[in-house]
Amino acid sequence: MKKALALVLAAMLLVSMAACTGTAPAATTAATTAAAETTAAADETSAQTEADKTYVVGICQLVQHPALDAATQGFKDALTEALGGAVSFNEQNASGESVNCATIVNSLIASNVDLILANATSPLQAAASATADIPVLGTSVTDYASALEIDDWNGTVGGNISGTSDLAPLDQQAAMLRELFPDAKTVGLLYCSAETNSKYQVDVIRGYLEEAGLTCAEFAFTDTNDVTSVTQKACDSSDVIYIPTDNTAASNTEAIANVVLPAGVPVIAGEEGICKGCGVATLSISYYDLGYATGKMAVKILTGEADISTMPVEYAPQVTKKYNAANCEALNVTVPDDYIAIED
Amino acid sequence: MFFSSLLNAAPGAIAQGMLWGIMAIGVYITYRILDVADLTVDGSLATGGAVCIMLMRAGCNPWLALLCAFLVGMLAGMVTGLLHTRCGIPAILAGILTQLALYSVNLRIMGSKSNQPISVDKYNLVVSQRFVKELSLRNPLIPAIVTLAVLIGILYWFFGTEYGSGLRATGANRRMASAQGIDTRVTVTVGLMLSNGLVALSGALLAQYQGAVDVNMGRGAIVIGLAAVIIGEVLLGKVFRNFALKLCAVVIGAVIYYMVLQIVLQLGLNTNDLKLFTAAIVALFLSIPCWKDSVRTKKGGVRNA
Repeated sequence: MKKALALVLAAMLLVSMAACTGTAPAATTAATTAAAETTAAADETSAQTEADKTYVVGICQLVQHPALDAATQGFKDALTEALGGAVSFNEQNASGESVNCATIVNSLIASNVDLILANATSPLQAAASATADIPVLGTSVTDYASALEIDDWNGTVGGNISGTSDLAPLDQQAAMLRELFPDAKTVGLLYCSAETNSKYQVDVIRGYLEEAGLTCAEFAFTDTNDVTSVTQKACDSSDVIYIPTDNTAASNTEAIANVVLPAGVPVIAGEEGICKGCGVATLSISYYDLGYATGKMAVKILTGEADISTMPVEYAPQVTKKYNAANCEALNVTVPDDYIAIED
Repeated sequence: MFFSSLLNAAPGAIAQGMLWGIMAIGVYITYRILDVADLTVDGSLATGGAVCIMLMRAGCNPWLALLCAFLVGMLAGMVTGLLHTRCGIPAILAGILTQLALYSVNLRIMGSKSNQPISVDKYNLVVSQRFVKELSLRNPLIPAIVTLAVLIGILYWFFGTEYGSGLRATGANRRMASAQGIDTRVTVTVGLMLSNGLVALSGALLAQYQGAVDVNMGRGAIVIGLAAVIIGEVLLGKVFRNFALKLCAVVIGAVIYYMVLQIVLQLGLNTNDLKLFTAAIVALFLSIPCWKDSVRTKKGGVRNA
């Protein structure tokens, strides 16, 4: 039995030597031993056919999350609509750990994908670091300049990177806050300290709000465990609370709602998902539309119609003023007519 | 097709495995040599990354930045050591407290931002994922192997010195070591400092490798470290008896862990199940010694008496 196993391993080693694609010898031996240990049949999602015009698109998503999922879905739909069966996807999810992004990106590059979709900041950084040749489209990233350390930001990343940003116009959000709550004096800015995108939005909107004469205070929670206590603190000292497009807040809207509604403090949310859970109003962008726009960019790049190094970062195609009917009623907030109610 | 793309992915997995191997050596020092369960590593990994990246962004030499990361990691280890030895807090709890505090410290180091990028195009990085498949001097495998060789050499020498032996004695039997005149409070702290220094160094290299430091990058690192230590022991424990080779076994354990992760990804299973499969495969590895023993006892004969 042991001899048979040894013979099989030796045979695999010889076969892999023949299939060697220029990787270091030490890598080959280790890889073959590991490969031989897997007896499960390979379930290949990255189908490479002989035909010219088939494309393989790799997707690296940071975490399971409705907004990110919607963006990925929009992206895939746009590509399938334009290219039909000629495009196949290799979809991976880092399950919330940024260190997994490097491993996933390594795997996508090893599978020779034609384009990489980086859904969120950490995948974008990992992809940018790992390859300078394969086109990388980012989505659900708020600020490319700080994510990729670009000085003199002029709207285009250049090189092999472009994408879409989920930044809804913060000045319009500040205006919405003042429109709905003209008597408010203090605004609490609630966000997760582990998310740079949230910090960025909080810093920018703080500028707009303070310009309008409102006093702002920041309330940062570290993760799911202290959302409730930090929200309580925010309620105690604010007339209105603002929550940016924060992934952790979006996963904890129930907990936040349980604090803000009894306390009677209205929440202006940066995106629809958060508003649906605990907010009164939002300037909504659709992550699905954002993903779809990214997909259209991908089609242009894959078919050679456009050059990724000259494509500027695109923003959400449209913003809509939306409000949460139930919460507005509970907090006695009157909403102007141009707002649309969020459906359940 | 599966194997060729796996082979293609292998250099990256091996490079990552080696960089995590440095961290696994740190965990080995506390877990096996000192017999202390140290959970500070979740925080000190990110601390190392934060210090190195912020220094490099400020224009510091990359090797100097790595050295500073190592020193700051040692500081973190010292805090845990002091909490454990001078304040009487159990080691696990001391580690958790330090790791908790390090979250805020890391945010401060990173200038209140949770994520700082470092681009290989702009800075002279020691290791970068960009070049992992190149057959050139820029390949991160080279500095990784050199660093590991130097580290294992230094540790082999250190644990052979009188002080190093004192550390090993502290881990083997703390009360006996104390009875022999070794100040165990100091040796435990020194061991924790050494371990966390290595973890911070690993964090610094990883941050350069992946092109960014994230305040949450250390989360779950202790699991990877322990898995690497135990996989190395399980697979190579009987073969490698020399201390230096045992440290190599730990690094090999980390490489295997990352190869397993890569295989799971290449298999193309449902992406939500990534963690489940990784845990299952690691659990399989960890159960091997237990099963091997129960199989062996069934065999009779003089040799097994």
